[in-house]
Amino acid sequence: MTLLANHPDTPFAAKLLQRRQLSEDTALFTVAPEAAALPSLSRFIPGQFVQLSVPGAGEIPISPADLAHEDGTVDLCVRRVGHVTDALHQAPEGSTLGLRGPFGAGFPLAEMTGHPVLLLAGGLGIAPLRSLLLHLLQNGERFGEITLMYGAKKPTLMLFREELAELAARGGLRLYLTVDFAPEEPWGGFSCAVGLLPDLLKGFSFDAANSYAAICGPPALYRCLGADLERAGVAPQRILLSLERRMRCGIGRCCHCALGQKLCCVDGPVFRLSELKEIPEAL
Amino acid sequence: MAKTTLKNIHLSHFLELLRLFGELHGPVLSDQGVFSFAPLASASDLQLNYSRTQIPPKKYLLPFREEILHYQKGAYRQAVPYGSETVLFGVHPCDLDAMAYLDRVFLAEAADSCYATRRANLTLVGLSCRPDDFCFCSGPRESAACDLFLQAGEDGFSLTARSAKGEAITAAAADLLVETEKEIEPPACGSCNVLPQDPQLRFSAHPLWVKFAEACVSCGACSVCCPTCYCFDLREYPSLSGGAERVREWDNCLFVTHGEVAGGNFRATRLERLRYRFLHKYCGFTPLTGITSCVGCGRCKEFCPVGIDLRELFQDLPLDCGRTP
Repeated sequence: MTLLANHPDTPFAAKLLQRRQLSEDTALFTVAPEAAALPSLSRFIPGQFVQLSVPGAGEIPISPADLAHEDGTVDLCVRRVGHVTDALHQAPEGSTLGLRGPFGAGFPLAEMTGHPVLLLAGGLGIAPLRSLLLHLLQNGERFGEITLMYGAKKPTLMLFREELAELAARGGLRLYLTVDFAPEEPWGGFSCAVGLLPDLLKGFSFDAANSYAAICGPPALYRCLGADLERAGVAPQRILLSLERRMRCGIGRCCHCALGQKLCCVDGPVFRLSELKEIPEAL
Repeated sequence: MAKTTLKNIHLSHFLELLRLFGELHGPVLSDQGVFSFAPLASASDLQLNYSRTQIPPKKYLLPFREEILHYQKGAYRQAVPYGSETVLFGVHPCDLDAMAYLDRVFLAEAADSCYATRRANLTLVGLSCRPDDFCFCSGPRESAACDLFLQAGEDGFSLTARSAKGEAITAAAADLLVETEKEIEPPACGSCNVLPQDPQLRFSAHPLWVKFAEACVSCGACSVCCPTCYCFDLREYPSLSGGAERVREWDNCLFVTHGEVAGGNFRATRLERLRYRFLHKYCGFTPLTGITSCVGCGRCKEFCPVGIDLRELFQDLPLDCGRTP
């Protein structure tokens, strides 16, 4: 048996260092990949994804929720929804996992330099956008105004809320939070709007002609927010959408993530709205 | 003159000689009464005039199910494919071209190691074909995508070596070969049709798509028997020893699960899936956009249980049997 650990279809070993519960079904997993994985992982661009393996269960594509850490660890925000994520949520700290990547095209950071950026996250869509947000804030002087609008179903499902509030308090980030439903019980602790993300966008005035927008959330969100942003004056090639598909191989072979003649794992997962208009099954 | 002709009476000797180069496989009639590529126990099993096998030769490079990664003691390692040197005899030009297309997919950058191993172990001996009513390639022709090609004539075969392996075979078979008396011509093209030259145009909203989708039962036969369909799924199974195996299996874009994501399906209707399949087939996609992967073998038409015939879409295109691919 030959060890070909650097082939892109073969995961590197990674240790589950820490698990932080973020909501009832979602946790942030910090994993430490073996040293051989670091050269490729250090090239991570926000919006790209990695393939996380839980031995014996399978592999899932996840967009890291943070930038590449100097110590080589990776933060992955995962909701417990299926076979592999079930196994991941049950894995004790110290377990061996597998990791390969990053894959795909991330956000066009160089092109976005000098422009205001509006981030729109729905639900778990905050995870991939968090890595973009952290990059923008770290390099704040190179970008225009940074705004995050984040909508969750209910207050207890709002991820990274305290961290986001802290980032906003430091300045450099305009933060707008909204929940779909207000619970009957008082939830206390923070205030946010009640309503859907498009409602939040409606009353928002910004330099649309000069802005980039980055959207990540459930499929329905893309359809309405894309159109809303265009109406507000954002150019469709500057409306960036991080799409979700079931990338199996991650390297453009299995065809599971195809949309029209494009592959989400190679051409995406970050696409421009202008690229997707001709593809009926994209959004 | 070079000795490149194999007389019919020497074919069985030639097949025995091929066994020196690997396990000999070729077209046989299966117990179910369909043509199939299988080990040739004896030369008499060979179906020299077969039309097409139900399952294409892609199974030699991409088995229906195979382990690609093995997890043991904290590490994933690439699996070593089983199997040894194989000589596949009697592959028609369309199927040879199909394998060449699969090579482009799996041997490109970051070549797939299981595929590459199987490919290196496979010797392809091509055979000219006799088109039937299901074929729609660009005519009986030779294909260079093999090690050795046999053009069948009335009295025998004209051999053309296409690789070092093929030259080694013709050298080993020198005693069986005679000088060519006259060129063996490919049989005249009677029934074959032509692949569309500008497929993009045919993928507009044509009413035939709706008709096809109403008939389609999403059985996926057209994809299973397509020599260039290679969609796959990856699954992982734990083993009792504490390890695990990651398995690659054929998948099918006609199945409703193919376009599923959490909370939705991007190709929920048969119309969308059918159109998607043929868009991919005829227009290609990243990184092979613009490359038609259909080789016109006719399997999808022959094995479709509801008789969907894509040629209906292409019928108003000019027939040009002499067109070179």
